Amino acid sequence: MRNEIELEGIIEDYLNGKLNEEEAKAFEQLRLNDPSVDHKVVAHKVFLESLNDYASISDLKNKMNQVHAQIDVETLSRQLGPHPSFIVNIWRKNKAAIAVAASFILLTVVTLYSIQQTTQQSGSVELVSRELAKIKNSQSNLIRKINSSNVVTPNLKPANFGGTGFALTSNGYILTNLHVVADADSVYVQDSKGNSYKAVVKRKDSQYDLAILKIEDKSFNSLSNLPYRLKQNVIGMGESVYTLGFPKDDAVYGQGYVSSKTGYNGDTTQYQVSIPVNPGNSGGPLLDHDGNIIGVISAKQNQVDGATFAVKSKYIQEALNSIPNDSLGTKVAFSKRNSLQGLSKPKQVNKIKDYVFMIKVYK
Amino acid sequence: MSNKISSSVPTDREVVLGILNNSEEALNKLYAGYFPMILQFILNNNGDEDDAKDVYQEGIIVLYNKIKSGNFELSSKLKTYIYSVCRRIWLKKLSQQSKKSNDVTDFDDLISVEEDVEQHEEKDRQFDKMQSALLHLGEPCKTIIQDFYINNLSMQDICEKFGYTNTDNAKTQKYKCLQRLKKLFFQS
Repeated sequence: MRNEIELEGIIEDYLNGKLNEEEAKAFEQLRLNDPSVDHKVVAHKVFLESLNDYASISDLKNKMNQVHAQIDVETLSRQLGPHPSFIVNIWRKNKAAIAVAASFILLTVVTLYSIQQTTQQSGSVELVSRELAKIKNSQSNLIRKINSSNVVTPNLKPANFGGTGFALTSNGYILTNLHVVADADSVYVQDSKGNSYKAVVKRKDSQYDLAILKIEDKSFNSLSNLPYRLKQNVIGMGESVYTLGFPKDDAVYGQGYVSSKTGYNGDTTQYQVSIPVNPGNSGGPLLDHDGNIIGVISAKQNQVDGATFAVKSKYIQEALNSIPNDSLGTKVAFSKRNSLQGLSKPKQVNKIKDYVFMIKVYK
Repeated sequence: MSNKISSSVPTDREVVLGILNNSEEALNKLYAGYFPMILQFILNNNGDEDDAKDVYQEGIIVLYNKIKSGNFELSSKLKTYIYSVCRRIWLKKLSQQSKKSNDVTDFDDLISVEEDVEQHEEKDRQFDKMQSALLHLGEPCKTIIQDFYINNLSMQDICEKFGYTNTDNAKTQKYKCLQRLKKLFFQS
């Protein structure tokens, strides 16, 4: 018992480095010779380290508790803690999920809406006559006035609306859409060379939306024989067609194909044509690849891409028949022969362009 | 969404030097500086104020041990280190209580502190062992051992404090107590 207490004391001193050199050497020798002593030393060392750790940590904890006591935890947790309201918490925690759900719902709604829109063919028809940009015209007008201050022509007032028309006969009968010239005060037509002629509306056919104009201008010279002819037969789906029109101040060529034998909402007097048209194309001729006139561009469906409607040529003939024969001058409006047949598109267009007019309407 | 933590926070260098010098002031500043951050984190992740206190103190102990062990490098901000450690500790506690912990609301950046937390857990076990051993030791042994080993009183002081007739008696008593404590400590 006595010895063990002393041994313990020596071990402690040894571990704390309190032994002098000689004693330490002797003790180390003892450790080597006696494994039980060595074991005690190791165990005591581990134990002392644990005890020291314990001491320092509990000291640290004490100090921290003191600091903690000074902190106003309650106020802080009111500031920093979760919101007392259940809904706010749900929102904070599930922001991401809610956002995903919301965008999904939005997407679904948009998709359903667009499906409904496309399947119902509820898009309204937009007549492709053109409302000319007033500002632009008045501006160019102004410039003209400055440049030639004393020359005043009767035509100076800018046209309000524009469309396209094409010659039915060589002596100045022109076909266009009724909606182009409806309610017009005066109508002028302008050919591809830029010459403007006054015209009057000779006949209106509201059933097929067609109108026949007659150029009544002294400066107008008769046209040469019409290059195209009117094709009476119904044309098949997929037939490639083209048109010439005036969506701007210069003629614009558009190409497409017949996509349906009926028009808007199954209207049998019209074709549906997939062709890019713009306001101003109304009244333009629709020609097949041989240069036969098969219809008149009249409207397009908004909200549906590439759905343009054209009045069938059969109804052009009907309109033509209604003109009193004597006023036609020559009995046959269209030649039986089609001089365009077999020509390439650019050549056809080049020939046709002299017979296609821009219709300028003043209201 | 996180509220700004307004308490004054000491600089990282200040804290590290303070801890190395056992400065109590540095500890106070450190403790008060980052407690709101951890409180916010715990409160928003299924914990209460007491959980926050426990977790935070453990986090500070990890930081202390790390700094004292000498291999602490300021590779990240102290704030980030403390936050990461506390977050790790809290997640472990949550999973022990089998509460859900998959979508933790975070308030700060994270760094990997797995190793430090594991080391701490080992030390924590030792601490608990020693604590329960001391608890089971009973009086007056507990006080004698604490006075001698922790408060560094001399044998003479202890002899007087406990009214032993001579230091040999005190030594014998301390020896007996120590043997019992060792037994408790190593057996548990």
